[in-house]
Amino acid sequence: MASIRVPEQKVILCGEYGVGKSSLFRRFANNTFVTATDRKSTLGLDQFKKMYYAYGKNVKLQLWDTGGMERVASITSSYYKFAEAAILVFALDNPATFHILSQHLLDIVTYAENAKIFLCGNKSDLVSEGSHISDSDIEAFCEQCHNLISGTYKTSCKTGEGIEDMFTDIASQLIKSNQSRMDLQTMDEHGFKITENSEDPEENCLC
Amino acid sequence: MDEEYDAIVLGTGLKECILSGMLSVSGKKVLHVDRNKYYGGESASICPLEELFTKFGAPAPDESYGRGRDWNVDLIPKFLMANGSLVKLLIHTGVTRYLEFKSVEGSYVYKGGKIAKVPVDQKEALASDLMGMFEKRRFRSFLIYVQDFLEEDPKTWKDFDARTQNMTALYEKFGLDKNTQDFTGHALALYRDDEYLNSPAIETIKRIKLYSDSLARYGKSPYLYPMYGLGELPQGFARLSAIYGGTYMLDKPIDEIVLGEGGKVVGVRSGTEIAKCKQVYCDPSYVSDRVKKSGKVIRCICLLDHPIANTKDALSTQIIIPQKQVGRNSDIYVSLVSYTHQVAAKGWFIAMVSTTVETETPEQEIKPGLDLLGPIRQKFVSVYDYYEPTDLGLESQIFISQSYDATTHFETTCLDVLDIFKRGTGEEFDFSKIKHELGDEEQ
Ligand SMILES: Cc1cc2nc3c(=O)[nH]c(=O)nc-3n(C[C@H](O)[C@H](O)[C@H](O)COP(=O)(O)OP(=O)(O)OC[C@H]3O[C@@H](n4cnc5c(N)ncnc54)[C@H](O)[C@@H]3O)c2cc1C
Ligand SMILES: Nc1nc2c(ncn2[C@@H]2O[C@H](COP(=O)(O)OP(=O)(O)O)[C@@H](O)[C@H]2O)c(=O)[nH]1
Ligand SMILES: [Mg+2]
Repeated sequence: MASIRVPEQKVILCGEYGVGKSSLFRRFANNTFVTATDRKSTLGLDQFKKMYYAYGKNVKLQLWDTGGMERVASITSSYYKFAEAAILVFALDNPATFHILSQHLLDIVTYAENAKIFLCGNKSDLVSEGSHISDSDIEAFCEQCHNLISGTYKTSCKTGEGIEDMFTDIASQLIKSNQSRMDLQTMDEHGFKITENSEDPEENCLC
Repeated sequence: MDEEYDAIVLGTGLKECILSGMLSVSGKKVLHVDRNKYYGGESASICPLEELFTKFGAPAPDESYGRGRDWNVDLIPKFLMANGSLVKLLIHTGVTRYLEFKSVEGSYVYKGGKIAKVPVDQKEALASDLMGMFEKRRFRSFLIYVQDFLEEDPKTWKDFDARTQNMTALYEKFGLDKNTQDFTGHALALYRDDEYLNSPAIETIKRIKLYSDSLARYGKSPYLYPMYGLGELPQGFARLSAIYGGTYMLDKPIDEIVLGEGGKVVGVRSGTEIAKCKQVYCDPSYVSDRVKKSGKVIRCICLLDHPIANTKDALSTQIIIPQKQVGRNSDIYVSLVSYTHQVAAKGWFIAMVSTTVETETPEQEIKPGLDLLGPIRQKFVSVYDYYEPTDLGLESQIFISQSYDATTHFETTCLDVLDIFKRGTGEEFDFSKIKHELGDEEQ
């Protein structure tokens, strides 16, 4: 454990089906946008790591997408485990996705107790057309949940606006809160990941 | 729900979730349904603690149990062999990235009313109090023989044909006494009864090798246990299925499996909705008319506020009571996990005692296991029937897994799953279909 590793921070996307979580994920991963509800484009891809730098330190954000499980069923509780941050996403042009946020918030605080929570109003390119969520709606929501929200952002996956700013800000907030935390994390509190042996496992397996 | 699928999977137990993941990865359109509100079926880990007490009709736990949400109690005891087939499946499917594990601290075996550490290498064998001095030397040569044994290299066989000669003959070759045979067969090779003695020795040699290869991976013991409990395993495979396009529905009762011409399945009905499909994969609880009972297992969940005596205060351990030691036909298993795995509140331990039922009074049967635990704060006993399918499902295209409750290890779980997959799709599962390296891409 002697080598200095860049800390990895698990960041999860939460919110209703269709608000643009996978689109945010796609922007984060390869800066693309697709309009079609072509699920195939992200099939098999559900987490992506990217390096950020702030306050003289590096951090690797590991962003997770839900895999679309929220469409009909609930997301597995294990999705939330070990998350350091959660991005609560709603669509600015769809009030229903905003009004249901408290339910998603409850899931986050239940299953990812220690996660910092960020609020993201997506589809900002669509807001000029009629009914949408205003800044005061958002402020009221943040107050309601006792300042559990560490940051609010507006993004458009279509134009790309606000997206990089959001991830950069989340990264620097995580670096800052990590600094104040004990730098040495005892190995003991965590389990380990199992990985393949350097040798081919088929070879030394006699079963 | 009113759509057409290649396969509908019923139940979100571990086997069904692995199957669902493998089918989705293979490009099949999968609908995965569970009648419960939660994932995992019988292989879920119960959280919070209050729910466990309610499930067994016990009065609510007092405050000494800490926060109920800190508990995740398995209904079925299981550990993973570090080099076993489930771990291989986890690695090849990439599901391992959703999970974290801890090594189980020790493995013990019961002898003459006491427990002793299972000697895992030559050094430990020499220090073990399970054997006398001369026996130790004989056991050591036996271990070296097994370690050096290569099926494809007859030179390593040392004039013994393990493919035809049985295990009794191999024990005799090394002059091992009955006690040593007992812990070798039951605590290293993990046989549940003594039938293996009459089978070709090669099987036992492979099992001992699996044990020591597993041990070699993470030290301490050959067993691993996932943080937050075994319930994380089915969830990981469910996620795999979902990211490959599988659709999930929970809290959906299934009223009928709809059959068409020649008794072949054409769909699944819930209320007035029918989902069409070419195949159904399910656990026995969804098809009571297509399974038969083939035995009973008793499991006793024990909540302890202390470790088990004589285990060096291990925070996790396994104890095997070989059948002969207590005059039985099948072994009794004790497994212990604790707060260090995030499955219990700080300071708490969860022990599980289980065995195959042999008499009319199953609770009496597990007494030797319970006696090892010391004071038990709370005990939950259940007896499960073990079911297996009455046919292979080739005509009906309904593929049924064997009861998950009854087997407590993952090697046969994986065999069952791979076998069902092959029956259902006509081909072996192609691990290369998974492009999970995509998910690990870095920038
Ligand atoms: C906690 C634990 C973890 C284990 N993990 C592994 C592992 O990862 N890999 C591995 O190869 N072996 C493991 N074993 C050993 C395993 O349980 C069996 O002893 C071994 O695989 C022998 O299987 P079998 O084919 O002889 O019997 P099986 O065909 O597997 O079992 C026959 C019958 O025995 C009953 N049965 C099986 N196990 C139990 C049990 N523990 N309690 C009550 N009834 C039971 C069932 O009714 C089953 O139908 C583990 C054992 C324990 C206690
Ligand atoms: N106009 C516009 N459409 C978007 C934006 N983000 C996502 N979408 C579209 O909204 C739909 C649902 O997005 P998706 O990312 O699949 O949502 P998810 O269910 O939360 O993962 C898709 O058709 C996207 O193209 C955005 O910022 N602006
Ligand atoms: Mg999505």
